[in-house]
Amino acid sequence: MILAYLPYAIAAWIFLWGLYGIVTSKNLVHQVVCLAILQTSTYVLLLAIGYKVGGTAPVFADIPVGTVVVDPLVQALMLTDIVVEATVMALLLSMVVKANELAGTVDPEELRFLMG
Amino acid sequence: MITSIIPLPIAIPLMVAAFISLAGNWIGRRACDLLASATAAVNVWITCSILHGVWSQPQVYWFGNWWPRAGGVVLGICFVIDTFAGMLAVLVCVLTLAGLIFSWKIFEDTENHFQPLMLIFMAAMCGFSYTGDLFNLFVFFELMSVSAFALCGLKTLEPAPLQGAFNFAIVNTVGAFMIVGGIGLLYARTGALNFAQVGRSLGTHADALVLLAFLLIAVGYMVKAAIVPFHFWLADAHAVAPSPVCVLFSGVMVELGIYAVARIYWTIFAGALGVHTHGLQSIFTSMAAITAVIGALMCFAEHHLKRLLAFSTIAHSGLMLAGVGLLTPGALAGFLIYVLSHGVIKGGLFLCAGIVLHRFQRIGEDHLHGCGRGMWFTAALFILGAWGLAGAPPFGTLFGEDLISHGAKGTHYSWLIFIFLFAEVLTSAAVLRITFRIFFGWGEPAPSDKSSRIEERAETEQSHERVPAVMFIPAAALIVLGITITAFPQIRSAVKDGAHQFTSQSAYASAVLENVQITLVRSSEHEEVSSSIIRSVIALLLSFLLALGTVFREQFGRALNFTRSLELGNAKLRRAHSGHPGDYVAWLSFGTAVVGGSLFLLLH
Repeated sequence: MILAYLPYAIAAWIFLWGLYGIVTSKNLVHQVVCLAILQTSTYVLLLAIGYKVGGTAPVFADIPVGTVVVDPLVQALMLTDIVVEATVMALLLSMVVKANELAGTVDPEELRFLMG
Repeated sequence: MITSIIPLPIAIPLMVAAFISLAGNWIGRRACDLLASATAAVNVWITCSILHGVWSQPQVYWFGNWWPRAGGVVLGICFVIDTFAGMLAVLVCVLTLAGLIFSWKIFEDTENHFQPLMLIFMAAMCGFSYTGDLFNLFVFFELMSVSAFALCGLKTLEPAPLQGAFNFAIVNTVGAFMIVGGIGLLYARTGALNFAQVGRSLGTHADALVLLAFLLIAVGYMVKAAIVPFHFWLADAHAVAPSPVCVLFSGVMVELGIYAVARIYWTIFAGALGVHTHGLQSIFTSMAAITAVIGALMCFAEHHLKRLLAFSTIAHSGLMLAGVGLLTPGALAGFLIYVLSHGVIKGGLFLCAGIVLHRFQRIGEDHLHGCGRGMWFTAALFILGAWGLAGAPPFGTLFGEDLISHGAKGTHYSWLIFIFLFAEVLTSAAVLRITFRIFFGWGEPAPSDKSSRIEERAETEQSHERVPAVMFIPAAALIVLGITITAFPQIRSAVKDGAHQFTSQSAYASAVLENVQITLVRSSEHEEVSSSIIRSVIALLLSFLLALGTVFREQFGRALNFTRSLELGNAKLRRAHSGHPGDYVAWLSFGTAVVGGSLFLLLH
């Protein structure tokens, strides 16, 4: 019974560590990677939601009718999630590269032109 | 209306964006400008005809004809267009058109991706307004976010825009993951993603999981809506984004965040959380009040033109959240009217700030003191904009404010009227103050602070002697649009009827799932704006007095010293806007914890 809730607890755990990493980070690259870690919590959550004990892959071409399969919809959601966030990560990392070229630093403390 | 035109406002801009990206160098800059503006104009026309088609009753469009078969589950994805969605899409396209025309004279030197990104941004926001599916809403949300991040950091030759875009991207992406989590939880409970079906499956049963899902989704969209304490990214992003992009950010993107909260609540959670209306009202209205007060105080304390307007957007975003948070159809109608008129007025003001930047290559109030003498038309637009922000007649904001405060009257939330007055006076006085100093050269130069010294590389290469017509006309047209909305009472009555449809969860569900035509409830509320007119004239007078008092305080001695402290702002509050993305995410976590805690306390 406890085991059934374990994946959800792990998802929350990863989410919080990702947040902690973003808040305390001293390096923009590190900060983007922490955001990526935070994102993996949504993968764990979605996988946990779609998982069925004893289920097989939802490829309906060669399995008998009535076979238990895991939920294909959450996998589609996760795929979209991955595609969307790959774009965000690429964009963020390219901004970090540019910031390093222009300001010569990747420390968010030193990269503060806008404030107050 | 032929229903098959419904996907066109999304499909056409995406195709043109792809074409311009491919062939842009080959067809040349002017052709790109013309093509992009023509696409936006076509989109205005299509969204208007869609709005005309849904004027009396909503339309549902199922992609690939995957409509739900009788008694079955929803497998397809649908667009559900009612007056709210239709009007917001028109606003999106009008603002994009104005921004694109304004951009003809800027970015002369660079080879950039401005036009394709603007078109993708427009398509994403149209889709966001139209969709009737939770995950589809998220996909359009991310599409609009990513194009917004790229547009914000467009001026990549200096570090400040990169910082602004980076902060914007980090905070909004954390919000987006919270939304995915919330959607996952709702799917786990109901096995559905369609608004109508999720709402129907949830029924009237609310437990911790439903509350958690509501918290995650609502907070995720409130990050976009710049509700305090999730608002920090907005000022940084607006300070550095090109002016035509700010028009879209402030004019409609932020408002779409609040719209999403309203849509999710009324189609999905209204049944489950319906018994807790009072608790939700108090949470929403207190967030709205805090946002309005902090936004207004920070707005008056800024001396960077665009940052000042950005904080004014935060203040008004709070007022709009009050319209949604009162959870009544009347206040919701006020929200939409406020969004429409505030969107065009704020868009016009940002274009005016763009004109100032184009003309003088500077954007700090202290550097610009007295520079604008003789620019009477631009000065007049600033004053008219301030007039609109004060919610004074003949601007449409008056009607929005009237409906929202009417909804608050007689409840525990009638104090919202004073919040409105406070935010409107301060934001309007701030715009008047810069007008008096920059265009009339009155009083002493503004105090200089860190934000006014933010270096901004101008959008054009050298300073210009005159303002080109393609810059002035869009700005003037937007401000005038803020007035015309009041000239058509049928818009207001359609919004009021639309609000009744919007707030009826069962009617929405049967329209989507069983294709049942919604019978219009003619709203009975009559218009009683005379008390609001008096209030708004008082607001306008107060803001003129405050602006004059601030500008001329040296002449009056110590009596007006409070304007100095108001203008310098609270040091702690200003330091909180630290420009550090880690701090912003910490505030986001803190805000989520507070909202979540009060949700669980008040609703359990």
